[in-house]
Amino acid sequence: MSFVPIRFEIGRPAAPWSLIGVLALLMLGLGRPAVAIEADKQTKACLRCHAMETIAYRDPVSREIVDLSIAPRLLPHSVHGELACTECHRKSYRRYPHPEEAERESFSCVGCHEDDSAEATYQLKTVESEYRQSVHVAPGAKHADRFNCHSCHDPHVFKVSRVGTDIAQVVRDGNQVCLSCHEKARDPQLGSHAWLPKRDAHWESVRCVDCHTPASAEPSRVSHQILTAEDSNRDCVACHSRDARLLNRLYQYRSEEDLARRGLFAKAIFNEAYIVGMSRSPLVDWISLLIIGLTLLVLTAHGLGRYLAYRRRRNR
Amino acid sequence: MKNPIHTLSNARFSRLAIALAILLLVLAIGYKVVYPWAFQLYVGESSAILTYPNSQPLTDAEFETLSRELSEQARRERAAEIVGVDQADFAREVKIEMLMGTPSFVRESEPSHIKYFRDAGIRQYQGPKTCLRCHATTKVDHGDGRVTTVDTLDDIVNSVHFKFQSDADGFSTYGYDGRKVNAPGERRIPVGKINRACGIPGSFSWTGWAALVETRPEHAEGATVTRSEGCGQCHIGGNYYPATEKMMPIGDVPVDAKDGIDCLICHSAEYDMNQRYVMRDDIGPRWNQDRSLRAALSVGPVANRNCLNCHQHNMGGDAYLHNVAAKSLGEKNQRLLHKGAKRGNPFSPTDDLHAAANIQCTDCHVPEGHKIPRGRFGVDLVANDLPGKDVACEGCHSRAPHNQSEHKALLNGHIARLACETCHIRELQENNVVLRDWVHPTWDAEEGLWEPTDVYRSGKPGKGFTYLWFNGNGTFLANALGNNPNGSTDYNPLMRQMARIEDPEILAAVRAKAIELKRTYPDIDVDAYVTAATDPLSQLSPEMRERRRAMIRDNLTAAMNEGESRIYPFKLFNAMMFEDMGNQGPFGAMILPFDYASYYETGDTQASVIQAIRDPIVRRMYQQPFKLYMMDEFMSYFGVTEGWRTDYPLVDGKLKGVEPHWMRQMGALMINHGIQRQGHECKDCHAPDGLLDYAALGYEPERAAELMDLDVLQAAD
Repeated sequence: MSFVPIRFEIGRPAAPWSLIGVLALLMLGLGRPAVAIEADKQTKACLRCHAMETIAYRDPVSREIVDLSIAPRLLPHSVHGELACTECHRKSYRRYPHPEEAERESFSCVGCHEDDSAEATYQLKTVESEYRQSVHVAPGAKHADRFNCHSCHDPHVFKVSRVGTDIAQVVRDGNQVCLSCHEKARDPQLGSHAWLPKRDAHWESVRCVDCHTPASAEPSRVSHQILTAEDSNRDCVACHSRDARLLNRLYQYRSEEDLARRGLFAKAIFNEAYIVGMSRSPLVDWISLLIIGLTLLVLTAHGLGRYLAYRRRRNR
Repeated sequence: MKNPIHTLSNARFSRLAIALAILLLVLAIGYKVVYPWAFQLYVGESSAILTYPNSQPLTDAEFETLSRELSEQARRERAAEIVGVDQADFAREVKIEMLMGTPSFVRESEPSHIKYFRDAGIRQYQGPKTCLRCHATTKVDHGDGRVTTVDTLDDIVNSVHFKFQSDADGFSTYGYDGRKVNAPGERRIPVGKINRACGIPGSFSWTGWAALVETRPEHAEGATVTRSEGCGQCHIGGNYYPATEKMMPIGDVPVDAKDGIDCLICHSAEYDMNQRYVMRDDIGPRWNQDRSLRAALSVGPVANRNCLNCHQHNMGGDAYLHNVAAKSLGEKNQRLLHKGAKRGNPFSPTDDLHAAANIQCTDCHVPEGHKIPRGRFGVDLVANDLPGKDVACEGCHSRAPHNQSEHKALLNGHIARLACETCHIRELQENNVVLRDWVHPTWDAEEGLWEPTDVYRSGKPGKGFTYLWFNGNGTFLANALGNNPNGSTDYNPLMRQMARIEDPEILAAVRAKAIELKRTYPDIDVDAYVTAATDPLSQLSPEMRERRRAMIRDNLTAAMNEGESRIYPFKLFNAMMFEDMGNQGPFGAMILPFDYASYYETGDTQASVIQAIRDPIVRRMYQQPFKLYMMDEFMSYFGVTEGWRTDYPLVDGKLKGVEPHWMRQMGALMINHGIQRQGHECKDCHAPDGLLDYAALGYEPERAAELMDLDVLQAAD
């Protein structure tokens, strides 16, 4: 691949409709058309600097380090990976040093996704209204003025969990978003979760947001209204019950995941038989299977015996 | 039950108890008296009570005069810092004197030990004995919240500054056999400066500890002038030999040797480097030190000048213009200056911005008691007291250090691949020595001695130092290990950057020097000389070369690919020395030391080697116990798998199996000081003929081309 100088970048940015076209073509396996290659060139030019792992500067106002690094390996796998950088960022960014006015850009996820299929799937308007009630932007919250979607969701990495990802990984990734700011939440000295029985087991298998959001109207979605510590769920039975709220969220994913991995039969037999987090001992599963099998065997043997005895009597 | 007292008084038990007591006594005497005596006999050293001419008792009156003088000096210096210079000289002088007499100012400025010594009746400084009267124990802040109390003498005696070696783990050095030196699970051997013969100093501390050299300088018109030389000048032990006892698993250095520790060279603000010279007594030569009461009364927090008493020697060099210690060469038997600099990266306000900002050495090298960290990274075989402790730019500068430049974010972006030093050390002192020939010395008429010939010196990037990937690991002979994070299989510094000089300018300079040497040494074949000096691998047989290639591939790849590598600057050096060819491997042979006095005086290098290896400890090295104790292991690290051959290279007064050679690759020394505010410009590296050879650094051709292209910055114009 040859290098394309930024200065002479003249590619027309891909319009949304062409992107859909690209996706369709990709699905049909027709290879990558010119538009996508153009987006690639643009991205490569930007990544020449932004792929540097340590590209960052210290903001003179907040005195905090602002990270400008894009992970070049993760970007293509993110939901936005097919887009050229300048589809979201101002075109003037194609010049270096970037003109000052370029730095005052703002993004609105909802604004972009208003009319497309993403809205139908992810209901970004609902997300926005939930987000407005979140503790992160409540009046008086620390950093409320600087908080936005990207504080949690890095648009260059963000992707939707697909069936096939290990559930523990989903939990880890989800929690990492929270822990990147709330680094002290896991400090055992602070004891913010000291009340929680089997705390570490919970942290490994449940996402922060599973307790720190209200049950939303549509049960399969996690609300974006992050609750205060006081309002968060402390009710064990909310999850550990037959009608568990967790079953509608994380564990629904898990159910699909199980179905995909082990097939319908295994799913039907080894489903969450009792309550979340307290069943699924494989030993118990196998013992019950064995008992059922043995019972069946005994019943069959008994039936067979009866039948043979009946035949012998009739013959006689 | 019998009465226990009755049992004890039983004759059989008392006999047993007496026998046990006698056994313990014999063992104790054996350990404390017989073993040290036998050990000294074995290594051919002896020690005695150490006396120093300047350790003189003062009368009370003399003490008070001295105190007044020191107090006034300290108060004047401090007052001069406070009183502004924006006024008439006379007005300023009056104000300084007013301030000097102000009671609160006197309390704060007077050297603290004047009062302590006056009250304790101390009128003579007698070395550690005097210090330990109050400082028997030291509180050690480990920096992680732990504070412990240690025995001061024990702390210093077991520090690398005293021992010059360690058999603990914590080395980041790998043997050419692929094993990490003294890693857990390996048999540990004592290694460090004590037993490391090195191409730059030309000797090792056992044979070159303290020497008196009779020189014949031009200006003396035939008379001789005695000069001091030897490793001991920079080492804090005051004994006749280094702390060899510490290399054994049992035993300790003699009490007399501990009394010889020079506390004040590190702790006194008024230490007189003119007292640092070699003197000879009935036992032999040893180094004098400043034990005056003046120095003792001026103790205070360790400051840069203390560290630099010794360490400017290995940073800026002896000939460096601002080497303060090198201005006081001794009131007699003046120390010899080494003209070629070991690193040429000075730490002084003129040439290092941290020194200019009055940053203290101990701000970065934060000590824990008498253990001083040198950082996790180490390319050479130097022992490390605190291997787990970081000494790094990031510790203060964070990961986003550039705040001023328009390109600050881009500059910060470079940190993932470049060490700060790579840009911020633009050049070294020009007397930085790269190639040194010890075998063909040159007569220095001014000094009146034969000195090793520095075949090539340079402080320029790409010439005096180069850029290599480095992950903190090094080899047994100081070669930086690391690899391009792209996992390159082409980057092979041990076959290329450290093994060959291709720069036509350097080749021409070496040739010119060879032609010059040929005038004194007609046997020199100029072409062969240039080839050996600039392509040292040409000295290896094809089989040996192939073995070298295979050992690098099989044994060092893992150590090179470990961790995160960044590009660092490395000072390169190589030396021609006499080698014991019986102990040769693909990475070199055991180099033999020179006896300093005969070397400098006669220039007869063979005779000098013969003299040095007659030293009892070198004889011991070529015997079975030493072989089993450490040399087999040492040689395995050295890349000689067949073990140590004990054929003593001196037979009937003649050298046997000894040949002059250049070491098989250049050493690579870390350079971290001499930091300049203004780093390299972008175009210094991002240009077709820039400082970084991207292809040699293992970049793919496309990426290398991209890195040599400055289009991003052109676009900015």
